[in-house]
Amino acid sequence: MRLGRTSSDRGGISLVAMVDVLMILLVFFMVTSTYLDLDMVPLAGTRDASGEGATVAEAGLAEEERLLIRLGADGRGYVQGEALPLPALGALLAERLAAAPGLDVIVLPSAQATVQALASLMDVAIAAGVQRLRVVRLEAVR
Amino acid sequence: MKLARRPRRRAPETIVALIDVVFFLLVFFMLVGRMDATAPFDVLPPLASGGADMPGGGVTLSVSSEGVLALDGVLRDRAEVLRALAEVLARDPDTLVRINADRAAELRRVLPLASEIEALGAREVVLVLSPALP
Repeated sequence: MRLGRTSSDRGGISLVAMVDVLMILLVFFMVTSTYLDLDMVPLAGTRDASGEGATVAEAGLAEEERLLIRLGADGRGYVQGEALPLPALGALLAERLAAAPGLDVIVLPSAQATVQALASLMDVAIAAGVQRLRVVRLEAVR
Repeated sequence: MKLARRPRRRAPETIVALIDVVFFLLVFFMLVGRMDATAPFDVLPPLASGGADMPGGGVTLSVSSEGVLALDGVLRDRAEVLRALAEVLARDPDTLVRINADRAAELRRVLPLASEIEALGAREVVLVLSPALP
């Protein structure tokens, strides 16, 4: 009696090790990652600063084309000594922008004001449509 | 002649689908994430809705609410931060410098730093924001 030889299984490449590696990589990325959705706003730098170093007077801006906002330590904006809450400040900016679209807004923050206060003020200005906004600070002369 | 029946091998469960799923998940996490060192202290960026999307790359300077500094996740004092940034900016002035300041930090701890970094030759210094619902 002749028995046919059963065809031996060809040993395939084991994928188990690869799955292990992939799984470990996946778990590593999931555990060590913190997923944050962050935005940014320009704060300083020389890129696109065409008017850098020029004073407002040198830039040839008329009085109605610039607005100085002082940011108080209490987080409120002050225009010509008058404290304005953010919505009122937004309305004022929109009004001034309607009269002068190229309005140059200069923000002079108090050293004790918080980063959040400055961000909120910039946010209101951006929402009002301000295109030119600069943050200036006083520096002690040594 | 009686031949013993060969024990039937159970068909192995296919793991190809599992590999596919795991691989896609891995690629997804690698593509959507940006590897960035986190500060060794808690930093809550200020909330704002008018920011622009933040590109990858560059260096991150974290500022805690008390003014403690960390550069790319490593605690540094002010002089060390400026020295390290000066080296980076000397190599490539286009390096994006991100200031990730806590929302409660006072501006006296942030704005002078931004000015000094600008003076080092940085072309782009940005403030990190946490997007708020408009």
